[in-house]
Amino acid sequence: MIDPRHLYILATVLAALGMWRLLPRADAGGRLGGAALVAVALGLFAAGLPGLSNWIADCVFYVLAAVTIVAAICTVTFRNPVYCAIWFGLSLLGTAGLLLLVGAQFLAIATVVVYAGAILVTFLFVLMLAQPEGRASYDRVSFESLLAAVASIAILGLLTVAIAGVFQRSGESTAFPAPPQSAELHQKVLHPLHTAQLGAELFGRWLIAVEVAGVLLLVALVGAAVIVLHARSGRQSSGPQHPQSGGPQQW
Amino acid sequence: MLAQTIEALVKIGLVLGGVMTASAYLVLVERWIAAWVQDRLGPNRVGIPLTNIRLWGLGQPIADGVKLMLKGEAVPKHVDKPLYYLAPAVVFLGAILVFAVIPFGSVLPRGIFPESWQLHEPIELVIAPQLDVGMIYVLAVGGIAVYGVVLGGWGSNNKYSFFGAIRSAAQLISYEIPLGLGILGVVLATGSLRLDAIIAQQADSGWWNIVQQPLGFLVFTVAAFAEATRLPFDLPEAEQELVGGYHTEYSGIKLMLLLVSEFLHMIAAAFLMVVLFLGGWHIWGLTDGIDSPGGELVTWPVAVLRVVIMLAKVLAVILFFMIARWSWPRFRFDQLMQIAWRVMIPWGLANLGVVAIMIEYGDRIGAATGIDWRIWMALIGFATLIIVWAATVIADPSRTDNRPRRDLPVPSFLADEAN
Repeated sequence: MIDPRHLYILATVLAALGMWRLLPRADAGGRLGGAALVAVALGLFAAGLPGLSNWIADCVFYVLAAVTIVAAICTVTFRNPVYCAIWFGLSLLGTAGLLLLVGAQFLAIATVVVYAGAILVTFLFVLMLAQPEGRASYDRVSFESLLAAVASIAILGLLTVAIAGVFQRSGESTAFPAPPQSAELHQKVLHPLHTAQLGAELFGRWLIAVEVAGVLLLVALVGAAVIVLHARSGRQSSGPQHPQSGGPQQW
Repeated sequence: MLAQTIEALVKIGLVLGGVMTASAYLVLVERWIAAWVQDRLGPNRVGIPLTNIRLWGLGQPIADGVKLMLKGEAVPKHVDKPLYYLAPAVVFLGAILVFAVIPFGSVLPRGIFPESWQLHEPIELVIAPQLDVGMIYVLAVGGIAVYGVVLGGWGSNNKYSFFGAIRSAAQLISYEIPLGLGILGVVLATGSLRLDAIIAQQADSGWWNIVQQPLGFLVFTVAAFAEATRLPFDLPEAEQELVGGYHTEYSGIKLMLLLVSEFLHMIAAAFLMVVLFLGGWHIWGLTDGIDSPGGELVTWPVAVLRVVIMLAKVLAVILFFMIARWSWPRFRFDQLMQIAWRVMIPWGLANLGVVAIMIEYGDRIGAATGIDWRIWMALIGFATLIIVWAATVIADPSRTDNRPRRDLPVPSFLADEAN
């Protein structure tokens, strides 16, 4: 039997290597091998995870997790930005499915509304307007692909290790609090009014944080408006003007 | 477990079959109404094949469907294949998924199934009664539908399709905000995001939300028209400007999916208007008095009557959609945007503010004056509507200067006329 720690280290190294081959570098090649490496590494990660309550939940979880991770990998490895955005959307849908699986209905649906429904469509809009023809080569390669691969896979490995909890010394309690008991779960997350509870929490205990975030967004909005108006006034000093003063004029 | 799965499957089959058949026959109804408005006869020939029986043209939808499915399907060479194939599926998925949370009645009577099946009685007439955030789910699925349109336009690799997609994305994103504001007022009044709770609240109080929040109803209706891209908001496929908009390059069964999705959007919008503002299955004197959520007293006649009333209201709203199509010309794009941002969003905010104040202080106003606070809420709602309408007419935020611009160079082919 292999020590699970070695398994995770091996998986992390393999995934980083595969990710580096997969990223759109200037010298394309070896991407198929990269995909295979990443697939093997993900399998190794999954092998160490504890099972869920029943086999249906297990199946749904692994399908959703695979969709999310594969779509996320495709997001950073595809060359056409429009396809990247679509894969990102799929990844978000997978995330929403995972949230739904654990019973966080509001969070799941809100993820779709905010990210997939609003932000990503705006991205798509800009991408389509920005590069209709002739994508420049520097737009289609990944800079610092090695560092990017190592950083992303390091995060993936660390998170998996933290969740699976294989690096604990014997006798040490888990770093994470135990999953809530059923009664508590039904009182909080699975309660029919959990959205109201979430709202009360946000606008009660965390009111200042919410307000600060709102002000930040407002500042960004005003800033965007100022930039646009400034650019226009600078360009338009002798630019087009409507014949506001002279009344309707005849040709 | 098995019985619950079968229950869900039966409901899904009912809703899918009903909605798809309805959308096919609503196309016929729409053509009849168009003919009636324009003083024509309309489709009245297709009946039973190989006979001379015409049946008032009731065979037309089947003939249309068969024709669209069997027709040769042309896929242009210049399209972006994966996106081109993906788009109709996404559009259809976005249109049909909404029906998972939309109730088509209230509940069935208790005790029709054996105890050993372990069903959650009473059985609610909605596919996913477990979802507590139905209202946000509707918005989320509406957001997914935008993708299909954008992908269709981009994947077709044709400038008319692309313009249609860009317009459509801008329109759908903009009108999601008034749509959300219209919904928020109702959610605030109900205190729940469940659609059946929204109906139950209106049935229990006897006051429909259209009376309580007329301004919210107006905002929601306009936004729903825009989200369903019905005339006067059908800019994404303005034929005179864009050929067919985002579905210019589609044919055969893909085109059918896109067209059916538009009808599904309209049906969903009609259901939402009925659920949110028109009392759902409730009508005074017929289906009230029997309190809903427990369903203890729901008998078969009441259960069936509620379904019939609900569907009748939905049909009435759909007929309104269809008549509205021949009553207003299409907006220009800048007018469309100004209506969203300068008229509908302020109206929605005003409605939300008034509703919030009335929910908080309504009891005290009612107690102080001795009149039911719901009467006050209706009065204040209509007063707000009149005030806001007058303010909009006076300020006229969507006015544009349509006079010719003198500062632009005169095109050469007009130079002679200009001098």
